[in-house]
Amino acid sequence: MIACVAVIGHQNNPLYIQSFTEADDALKLHHIVHCSLDVVEERVNNPKKSGPTLNETFLGLLYPTENYKVYGYLTNTKVKFILVTTDLDVRDADVRNFFRRFHAAYVDAVSNPFHVPGKKITSKTFAERVSNIVKSFGLSSAG
Amino acid sequence: MANYLAQFQTIKNYCDQIVIAVEDVSDLWPNIKDRFEEQLPFKRACLNNKTRNLVFVDNLPAEFILTTDARLRSRFPQEQSLFWFREPYATVVLVTCEDLEEFKTILKPRLRLIVQNDEREWFIVFVSRAHPSNDNATKMAKKVYAKLEAEFSSKKRERCCKFDIHGPEANFWEDLESKIMECVKNTLDRRVQFYEDEIRKLSEQRFMPVWNFCNFFVLKESLAFMFEMAHLHEDALREYDELELCYLETVNTGGKQREFGGLDSGDDQAALLNIGNKPLTQIVQDDSFREFEFRQYLFACQSKLLFKLNRPFEVVSRGYPFVISFSKALILHESTLPFCLREVWVISACLALINATSSHYNDGLVASDIEKEFYRLQGDLYSLCRVKFMRLAYLIGYGMDIERSPVNSASLSMLPWPKPAVWPSLPADASSQVLDKEKVILQATPRSKHFGIQRKSLPLEPSVLLREANRRRASLSAGNMFEMFDSRPSLIDGSTPDASPSTSPLQKAKTFSMPRTNSSPGNFDGSMDRPMRLAEIYVAAEHALKRTISNADLWKSLSSLEEFEQKYLELTKGAADNYHHSWWKRHGVVLDGEIAAVCFRHGNFDLAAKSYEKVCALYAGEGWQELLADVLPNLAECQKMLNDQAGYLSSCVRLLSLDKGLFSTKERQAFQAEVVRLAHSEMKDPVPLDVSSLITFSGNLGPPLELCDGDPGTLSVTVWSGFPDDITLDSLSLTLMATFNADEGAKALRSSTATVLKPGRNTITLALPPQKPGSYVLGVLTGQIGQLRFRSHSFSKGGPADSDDFMSYEKPTRPILKVFKPRPLVDLTAAVSSALLINETQWVGIIVRPIDYSLKGAVLHIDTGPGLKIEESHVIEMESCANVSQSAADISNVNGTQKDCTLAANKEPEQLSLDDGRIEFSDWASDVNSVLWIPVLAISDTLPKGSSSVNPQKQSIVDGMRTIALKLEFGASHNQIFEKTIAVHFTDPFHVSTRVADKCNDGTLLLQVILHSQVKASLTIYDAWLELQDGFVHTGKGNGRPTSSFFPLVISPTSKAGILFSICLGKMIGEDELEARKPETESILNIRYGISGERTIGAHPPVAVESVRPEVAGQDLIFKSALVLQRPVLDPCLAVGFLPLPSTGLRVGQLVTMKWRIERLKGFGDDEISEQSGEVLYEVSANSENWMIAGRKRGHVSLSTNQGSRIVISILCVPLVAGYVRPPRLGLPNVDESNISNNPPGPHLVCVMPPVLSSSFCIPA
Repeated sequence: MIACVAVIGHQNNPLYIQSFTEADDALKLHHIVHCSLDVVEERVNNPKKSGPTLNETFLGLLYPTENYKVYGYLTNTKVKFILVTTDLDVRDADVRNFFRRFHAAYVDAVSNPFHVPGKKITSKTFAERVSNIVKSFGLSSAG
Repeated sequence: MANYLAQFQTIKNYCDQIVIAVEDVSDLWPNIKDRFEEQLPFKRACLNNKTRNLVFVDNLPAEFILTTDARLRSRFPQEQSLFWFREPYATVVLVTCEDLEEFKTILKPRLRLIVQNDEREWFIVFVSRAHPSNDNATKMAKKVYAKLEAEFSSKKRERCCKFDIHGPEANFWEDLESKIMECVKNTLDRRVQFYEDEIRKLSEQRFMPVWNFCNFFVLKESLAFMFEMAHLHEDALREYDELELCYLETVNTGGKQREFGGLDSGDDQAALLNIGNKPLTQIVQDDSFREFEFRQYLFACQSKLLFKLNRPFEVVSRGYPFVISFSKALILHESTLPFCLREVWVISACLALINATSSHYNDGLVASDIEKEFYRLQGDLYSLCRVKFMRLAYLIGYGMDIERSPVNSASLSMLPWPKPAVWPSLPADASSQVLDKEKVILQATPRSKHFGIQRKSLPLEPSVLLREANRRRASLSAGNMFEMFDSRPSLIDGSTPDASPSTSPLQKAKTFSMPRTNSSPGNFDGSMDRPMRLAEIYVAAEHALKRTISNADLWKSLSSLEEFEQKYLELTKGAADNYHHSWWKRHGVVLDGEIAAVCFRHGNFDLAAKSYEKVCALYAGEGWQELLADVLPNLAECQKMLNDQAGYLSSCVRLLSLDKGLFSTKERQAFQAEVVRLAHSEMKDPVPLDVSSLITFSGNLGPPLELCDGDPGTLSVTVWSGFPDDITLDSLSLTLMATFNADEGAKALRSSTATVLKPGRNTITLALPPQKPGSYVLGVLTGQIGQLRFRSHSFSKGGPADSDDFMSYEKPTRPILKVFKPRPLVDLTAAVSSALLINETQWVGIIVRPIDYSLKGAVLHIDTGPGLKIEESHVIEMESCANVSQSAADISNVNGTQKDCTLAANKEPEQLSLDDGRIEFSDWASDVNSVLWIPVLAISDTLPKGSSSVNPQKQSIVDGMRTIALKLEFGASHNQIFEKTIAVHFTDPFHVSTRVADKCNDGTLLLQVILHSQVKASLTIYDAWLELQDGFVHTGKGNGRPTSSFFPLVISPTSKAGILFSICLGKMIGEDELEARKPETESILNIRYGISGERTIGAHPPVAVESVRPEVAGQDLIFKSALVLQRPVLDPCLAVGFLPLPSTGLRVGQLVTMKWRIERLKGFGDDEISEQSGEVLYEVSANSENWMIAGRKRGHVSLSTNQGSRIVISILCVPLVAGYVRPPRLGLPNVDESNISNNPPGPHLVCVMPPVLSSSFCIPA
């Protein structure tokens, strides 16, 4: 189950955070997303380590913790997408697929002339689209 | 083969270095043993690794063992092959012989026997006992050695070396070492080959049922062990890695139910770095090993090698994933393991890894990114350990002491509860403990947030512990007994910690299920079938944990709240410090916040504030407002406790400036109340405070306020207040920054009166003193609330501050004020350029033309110059007028007829009064062009003079010029002053000129009086009469009036009219009479006339008249003009004529006769000549440079007094220069010029030729 998705601006500011847990514990997901920026930053600042994946937008699994997984995605404009999932066996292809669709949704949302770049994304359509993507996560295995 | 395991174990224990066998043929070893062993360890070895690449090994330890030693004897061949690694790697054959014969017969066969075994790598050391002084012996030894060499060394390989016991050759030891190494290398290669072959054989059978992992393990580890002995640690490590892979591959796929292990006492302490924790024989199970122990064993072996390779970083980097994956393995077997063994194991594993790696780790030896990664992993280990520790603490009831922060919640609430098969039950004798716990639970008050912030606290538990624990109790049937706990919302949402189970169920029970009171506090019935209460769960868990935990230190850390807190702090600090050394700063800072929470609880506010500040800075810096809102109140509380007013205030302001949705209105009001309370409290010094995030300001929308130079104004500014309530600002000031000049200090606009800011948009008006020209932007808003000096730098774009706009970059600021360079703001001009009537009250029009500037309240000071006065008795009129220059197009469209009339009145004139030389303008005139009509009277005392045609006199225009000095004060506070002096031209209606039109024979003169109209108005002459001066009389005894039928005579503007008067010369008055009365020297022309004109054009009827009887076009006015009539002058009496010059022309140097003829024109008269008795004085004047005159230049000539008498005066002259020169002139000095007529007149210039060339001068001598 996807617990949280987030869009983080290029200055590491949250642009969109949506949690999909039932409990009122969004703050801890904020914390997870925020801390995962450490890993994103580390990967970006250490191109040696990331090596051949340098040019890839998908950052892969950021956090190998026991209980949840955090995946990252970095767009060309240094906007980060973070996915927190409590599924412990997630297929990479699914996550890639998810991020690709999420990226498309994001691009559409920021292409809105009424959206101020660098500001939080408040579009309802975007939120709806994201929740659809989240719902369909893992259903279609066609990566 | 599994039974070799024990043996293998013992072998491993004593065998840890390479063995070199010594075959002591000649009993030499005791003598040289020491000297050989001195050479150990071998300084430099060159070995082949598994991939047959050369590897250099330094300081390879080895041991010399005699072949006769028990350790090398009595081994079974099978053992030998299996544990081949312990067999000697080289055999040194020590021989000595001093006799060739002996060598041939005894030694050689013996040696042959020894070396025939191919398995062994051998070489021979020939020990020469010959003393160097003993030549024979030395020679013999050499001979024998030569023989030996010939016998045993081959071309391929030298197998002999010679050792002089009395002083070995310099390179002997090197030689020896290299020989040994060659052997070792060869042996090693062979054995590696052997093991590899064996392993390959075995692994081919890997998936067969006969396969035995233990055998594989023994082989594999033997190989690894051999590599390790040879100090080929990398290869050894690789073997272990392969072993681990192979184990993981096979252990879980066998399908067999195997024991996992971990049930022994002490298993809770991780042995992942402790190889010898348990002998392998103990963990054998069937054909394999127990996973629990074996995986730790493998990891221990790997880490031992890694430490040997000095790679502690790799230990951590392998260790962390190992702990995680091992922990997962523990989950699978959790039901069989002791309660919470997994948590305890992870804690001890993390701590063991941390301790081992940090003690092996030397700073600065590795690349910086590796170092950072190392610290990160250490931090990870600490933090993992911390989480598990918190989990244990929660289980035994320290939950309320764990901060419900996002970081703790994130790690704990997603961590499942331990899943023992059966939840531990309460020991029989624990009732007192239960009571104690119960008491603690009851006493614990949920920690309330500061400022009365109401928040659901974050969960620390994945699900309600009470339910989870009871569900796992075997004795409890899965009835709905615990459903009553489920239905308590307070537990599910986690808003109150589990500390309240004893009260909540009671309340709940009261509401709907009275019979279910069996779980109310104190109601012990000991029934095992009833659900456990929370305190019981805690106590039961505590007992179970006590059984699980074998580490006294860990148990101590959990034994009391204080100990727990200490350990918790230690772990948190460890994690934070390590994260700070790594890339993961955020992790570190967040954990600092957790330390701060503990510090805060213990009253160590200073430390807490410092850490909280870091956390807040982290969140604020990147705009994570939700997280910031969680921490900031804590920081504020610390600052409050520390009495750090500035900090506290700024925290309150930051709280207020967070997203409005993050706090309820009530909470925000509480923040504001704090700010206001502090501001008005007894602070000693004013506290500066930056409220940029809370109060923003901007100019009003639309174009900037435009002011003219020197004008004050009022500036209206929009101020957005982020305060939830009205807030009273004691004072407010706003600086303006000039955009053109940064050096120019910002000017503050001050509003000292208290301003109340409503939440949201406010408009504030500030008085603006005159500013220098230029454009201005808003600078800083400052103000005072009580003792609080606040300032705000942020501009808003006309909306509230963007709360997520945390990166305050410089916005392009819009000018709010433009002060123009000085320019004309108004123009005052005379409305009429044409002349007005002098000596009559006339309207002077002054056009007031505002140039894009309001003249509201303007005051005009009028000061008339000399000769002009304002008719103060009369009102002043003001009317608007359209100005063609400004709105010609409009006017011509609307009213074509008026397009040329610049002063066409649009409005009925308004009457104003002059008050002390001031006129105040009406409001309507503030923006439109207007004309001001002022009644003035230009006074001229002198009578206008007529001019005669004989000597026309142009009237000077200056005479009629009068000036009016105007000073217009206008602008908002009459700060603008416009001064101008306007010239107004006054004139008489007519200019009179006279001429004698005809002279009749009877002496009557027709005097024509020409009237030039000088005004732009039509004049009507009703009457005219002439009062003649002495010496003239009207003919016919008339009264000097022309025929009355001429009148009225209308004279159009600037046209002329003539009136003829018939006069004649009268008697001259004698001298005596002249003295008696003033003679009339001037004639006076009187004209009674009327004028009909427009004041908008020029002269017009005098004001008073118009005001009395406006319908009368003109009232009669009298114009008087003085005329000077001169009696007629006589004709000239003498004529001087210049007689023509000779036609040959004049030449320089040639005499010429100039002739003048003087002729008397009148016979008799009272002229000068007659008085001189016919003598005429003449004088010839000429320029002496041009003319040389011969003869009398001056003299008297007689001229008869008869009319027509004439005389010729001739003078000889010589022209001196060539060219056009003035001729000499004849003058008559005694005769007035007017009496002389020049007839024919002399030329002005005559042409004088140059002299004729005289050739004689040119003949050469």
